[in-house]
Amino acid sequence: MSSNSLSSAPDDSAVRGASHTHPAPVIPGQPDMWVLVMIEALTFSAYFVVYTVWYRFKPAMFLQSQAQLDLRLGVVNTLIMLTSSWSIARCVGETRAGRHRAALTYLWITAGAGVLFSVLKVNEWRTMAGQGFGFETNLFFSFYYFLTGMHLLHVLVGLIMLGVVFHQLTNPARRSRELVETGATFWHMVDFLWVIIFTLLYVMR
Amino acid sequence: MTRSAPVTLLLVWAALAGITLLAWWIGAHHGSGPLRPQAAVALSAIAITIVKVRIIMREFMEVKHAPPLLKRITDAWLALFAVGMLAAYLI
Repeated sequence: MSSNSLSSAPDDSAVRGASHTHPAPVIPGQPDMWVLVMIEALTFSAYFVVYTVWYRFKPAMFLQSQAQLDLRLGVVNTLIMLTSSWSIARCVGETRAGRHRAALTYLWITAGAGVLFSVLKVNEWRTMAGQGFGFETNLFFSFYYFLTGMHLLHVLVGLIMLGVVFHQLTNPARRSRELVETGATFWHMVDFLWVIIFTLLYVMR
Repeated sequence: MTRSAPVTLLLVWAALAGITLLAWWIGAHHGSGPLRPQAAVALSAIAITIVKVRIIMREFMEVKHAPPLLKRITDAWLALFAVGMLAAYLI
């Protein structure tokens, strides 16, 4: 899957940095992941546009339903996702520098944030369902469960990818920088998709 | 140093967190009147979100160091998303 091993080759980014020259443009991670990211972004964009069209058709129902959500919880979820994005970016930086122990620490922070986000989301679902707001309550809640459910699915896939990154970083024979960057790119996508979902479901009026 | 220095990443995180808190203030229902659609709130929330996503892509995802093609593709998607959302909201 990867052809770039830190254990067998010097870190070219460190060489670039040491010479104080402007680094040559490179795609972080595998280009295939960027194709996936753009496909996912386009797919979710279609969901977001359809949601907004319905929001404009039934503003009263959407606003009343939206008011049932806890905006503070949405903010906390967003701060958790942003923190996880920051930590996986640090993980990439430490991996490039060859500091694998530090990279693992940041990887654990990312995974912990991902798990915390998932637990809070499932708990939010339970709370909403307990108050009688289910998938079939109305169109807003159908969108709410669909969008947050699709996103949580991506969080779980992201956590599996973080597991692959963990496997790379803990094994000196592997340590593929490219694979770490690829996993990070997916995780950042999970972050920016949530940033949009947060705005649509919790903020937009 | 590596491409994205730790201090830069921390500043980016702080900026994104700050913008999120701004969105919280925008999204909160101010006053005691009935809930009603507010185009200024909705459109500013969408604009802020597009800025946030672009910051995530440029800084965290390192698109700013990527080849011009990737910069153009990511910006093209953001522009398409912006136009789509604007059209959906204003119809």
